[in-house]
This record gives sequence, structure tokens and C-alpha cells, in this order.
Amino acid sequence: MFLAWREIRYSKTRFALIIGVVVLISYLVFFLTGLAYGLAQENRTSIDKWEADGIFLAEESNTNINMSMFPKDLLEEVNADETASLGVVSSVIEPNRETDEDAKVNATFFGISAEEFIMPDIIDGDAFGEDRQVVADRSLRDEDGYEVGDELSLSGMDLTLELVGFTEDSKFNVAPVLYTNHSTYQEIRASGFGQREDEIISAIVVRQENGDIEAVEQTTDELALYDIDEFINNLPGYNAQVLTFGLMIGFLVLIAAMIIGIFIYVLTLQKSSMLGVMKAQGISSAYIGRSVVGQTFILAAFGVLTGLILTLGTGLILPNAVPYMNNFIFLITITGLLISVAVTGAFFSVKTVVNIDPLEAID
Amino acid sequence: MKLIELKQATKTFEDGRKTIEALKPTDFAVEAGEFVSIIGPSGSGKSTLLTIIGGLQTPSSGQVLINNDKFSELEEKDRAKKRFEEIGFILQASNLIPFLTVKDQLKLVNKIWNSTFDLSQAKNLLGELKIDDLIDKYPSDLSGGEKQRAAIARALYHDPSVILADEPTASLDTDRAFEVVDILSRETKKKNKATIMVTHDERLTEYCDSVYVMKDGILSKKS
Repeated sequence: MFLAWREIRYSKTRFALIIGVVVLISYLVFFLTGLAYGLAQENRTSIDKWEADGIFLAEESNTNINMSMFPKDLLEEVNADETASLGVVSSVIEPNRETDEDAKVNATFFGISAEEFIMPDIIDGDAFGEDRQVVADRSLRDEDGYEVGDELSLSGMDLTLELVGFTEDSKFNVAPVLYTNHSTYQEIRASGFGQREDEIISAIVVRQENGDIEAVEQTTDELALYDIDEFINNLPGYNAQVLTFGLMIGFLVLIAAMIIGIFIYVLTLQKSSMLGVMKAQGISSAYIGRSVVGQTFILAAFGVLTGLILTLGTGLILPNAVPYMNNFIFLITITGLLISVAVTGAFFSVKTVVNIDPLEAID
Repeated sequence: MKLIELKQATKTFEDGRKTIEALKPTDFAVEAGEFVSIIGPSGSGKSTLLTIIGGLQTPSSGQVLINNDKFSELEEKDRAKKRFEEIGFILQASNLIPFLTVKDQLKLVNKIWNSTFDLSQAKNLLGELKIDDLIDKYPSDLSGGEKQRAAIARALYHDPSVILADEPTASLDTDRAFEVVDILSRETKKKNKATIMVTHDERLTEYCDSVYVMKDGILSKKS
């Protein structure tokens, strides 16, 4: 490390430029990871919030909750530690008061029973009590300017709802969720499917001790039970998003590592006559090689950590509408991955060091 | 005491179908405290001889002994280790590392040996060579003569038994060249080293105890 540090201190500009490139690339990787994770979360936060283990959907729905529809009575055909009934329907909402901008928002309604476990915590205002009262995700307040007490109208429907409170972390398919009771849900849903005699729901969410959903019993073949992770992976578009971003990030990590490796390799080639002199003096390839690897580690660590700090800083000043989110496990993993792959790349340079013939220093 | 000894050492190269004898069978020895110079035209094989003595290549036949150790028969890795301990190199274009100050050039030896750097010892050595005021300078800040004196300091610092200098004055004007060779000669006597200097400048040999001439792979003593 003695040589590594001294050289960095001597050729400040050159190494600052290399670190600069590493900073930019790692910034890009971290930032993209934050965006990808944030976007993925917007698909699923409302589901993660349940802390459920499994979900029953109509047998013929093909894991698509929007296509799942069955009578609420089937709740009695299911035996798990905890169960919750859930109705899901998409709609477009708009406040009735005068607003500055176009405040129409795509939203998903969750029809639930307030006494069941998927009832969200209220962070502002009150829980829904009477019919036609709703609780919404805070993004409607923070991004779209909705307020407690707003009257909401639904596109294409002669129905007015009252916004009574806000909750957090409730997004489904990148849209905010509005919670309401089952009878209001039936009214909203009826607009699409016509009036029905019995109450219709979309899903039964279950919790089972130790997540052992095998132990959940059912006495009807109209329902199919899915593991909650399987359900999330089959959310429309979710898997495609995660795979696309995952591949991009993976390639970026590789490219970053290759760039650092190439820089170090070129630097080593440039120094080869000096390294030849050192080897002629009897300084071992192992010592020089360790110095090359150490230097790569210093450059990569400096660059990647600076990129990380920049990313965390950017995360703080981003507007709410940007779906950016930090996941510290991902950030730590990527930091480790970037540095270790870069150091691996440095071993190509070590091979060059080993192959330098000290004789050439004399002739 | 013989610190350098060659016994029937030869070096041959294959060049196409021809075999070139760069070094014909040679017996040669340098005692402690002896300053020897080897002169000869370029291509005469004097650099080859120096690299064989320095262990950068091995003789095709015969032996090289450094400090009574069969140096030429060691494995490459052990030879490098031995070279670092026993031999101080002074090269034509100076063997200084561009990004280290004069002090750090010396400190590097301590780093490799995991020993502690003794500043007063380093200052003493640099003082002897009259460059102790340049201790914090980089090689690019030094003049040619100062560079070679720093290179001599570096070669002497780890107290080797043998000093090998390959055209140490090539980049210097006459006055500086004499000064550097004078220092080399004095340090050889004072520290009891065996020193070989390869040069093409015959005027410098007046400082040497004996002068050898290399011609077509044959080393002979100049009377």
C-alpha cells in the first residue's frame, strides 16, 4: 500500500480523473437501483403492508386479482389462522372542489372490513366509519394536493365519496390505494358488472403461523391459494420491470468493473519500464502486484463510496413524485460487488507485472 | 574476501540457426573493497556479463557466486530475494521511482523488509553524498548528477555486499561524471563493497583498482 498511496498522491490529477469516472458510474448504478426498487415497491407496498402469507383468488383468475371475483360467503370455506376479505377495483377519482390543476388520479379501491387485519393504520384524519367514506394513501395528499374532508367523484359514476383520512405505504400497481368498507366497494364495483344479489369480493388474504400456507384448509374448489410472493411476482408488469432493471444494473456493475480494470491495466503498461527496474533491483512481483491490487481497491472504494454518498444526497432532495427509494441491503451489496469485481479485474494487471522481464531494464 | 566470483561462466544465445557466444568461458573475481570497471564497445557483451552477475539471467554453463553463495543456481524467486539483499543496482537512467521522494526511495526498502525507517541513518547516508537537503524532493526536481547520487544512496541504503553500476555517468557532463565515480569509489572503500562499473568512458577508470576490457565475449584484464 506504501507504493499505491505514494503514487496516487504524486499523480493527483490522473487518479482524480479515474476516481471521477468510477464515481459517475457507481452513482448511475446506485441511482438506477433506487429508482428500480422504488418503482417495484409502488407495485407492492399495499400488499407488503398486510404482512400476509397467502392469498386466495378465484380458481379461474390465473393469479390476476382484477379478474378474480367470488361471493363473500366463500370466506367460510377457508380455514386459516387469520383471514381478511378484500375487494379490488380500479377507478378514476377527482375532488369536487375547484383545483388548480387536473387532479384526476388513477386509483385502486380496496374494499375491506375494518376489523380484519388488512385494515391500515391512519396517519392523518380518521378511519372510514360510515358508507361512502374512504381512507387514501398519503401520496394523494403529498403529490396531488388532496385533503381530509374532500368530496371525491368517480369518473363515469354518479357517486360521491368523502375522504376522511390518510394512511401510508399503500400503492398497488403504481397507483394509490383508497380503502373503504365492503358495501361502498359493492357500489363502486357494481358500475362495471351490474347489480348483484350477493356481496362480491376479489380475494381472501390469509396469515398462517410460520408462513406455513400448506396448513391452510379450504373446502371449496372455486378458490386457489397462492403464496404471497408468487402473487406479487405475477402482478401485471411487475416481473418484467424487475427483470429489466435487474439486468441493466447487473451489466452496469460489470461495465464499471471493466472500466476500472482497463484503467489500471493501461496504467500498469505505462509503468512497465519502471516496474522492470524495480524487479531488476529484486523487488518481488508479489510486492508490486499487491501494490497494484491495493491501488485498485483504493480507487474503487473511494469512487464507489463517493457515488453512494451522492446517491443518498440526491435521494433526499428528489421530489415526491419520483419513485426513488433506498434499500440498504441492495446498496451494501452493490458497493461490495463493484469493489470486489474491480479488484478482480486488477489481477489481469498483476499478470502483466509478473511477465515483465527485468532484463529489459538493463539493455 | 571474494564477494563476486565467476567460475567458467558462459552465455550463449540461439539466433536462428546460429549460436552466438555472448560470453566465452570466464573466470573473474572481485574482492571486498575493490572497485573494478569493465570497458568495451557497445554489443561487446559487457551488459550481458553485468546481468549474469546480477542474476537477471543465469549463465549457460559455469557458476556465479555472490558472497560465497551459489547465486546462479538458485530458483528465480530466491535469486530475486537474494538480489534485493546482496546487490545494489545503479542504472544508466537512474533507478529511482518517479513518484517517491528521495526519503521514500529509501523507506521503500524498510517497507519491503517490514523494518522501521531510521531517519537519522538515511540523513547520514544522504549527507555523505551531499544531497541531505534534497530529502523531500521528487526525482523530477533533481539534476542529473543529483539523481545519480540519490541512486547511489538507494543502492547503498540496504547495505548490499555488491554494487553493480551500468553506465552510471551516461547522462552526465564530464565534471558530474567524475564526481559520481569519485563518490562510488570512496563508498566502495569505506563500506568494503565489491563494485563493478560498466562504462564506455575510459577517462573514468582512473578511480578504479583494476580495469577489464570486454571484446567479443572475452573478458581480459587491462594492464
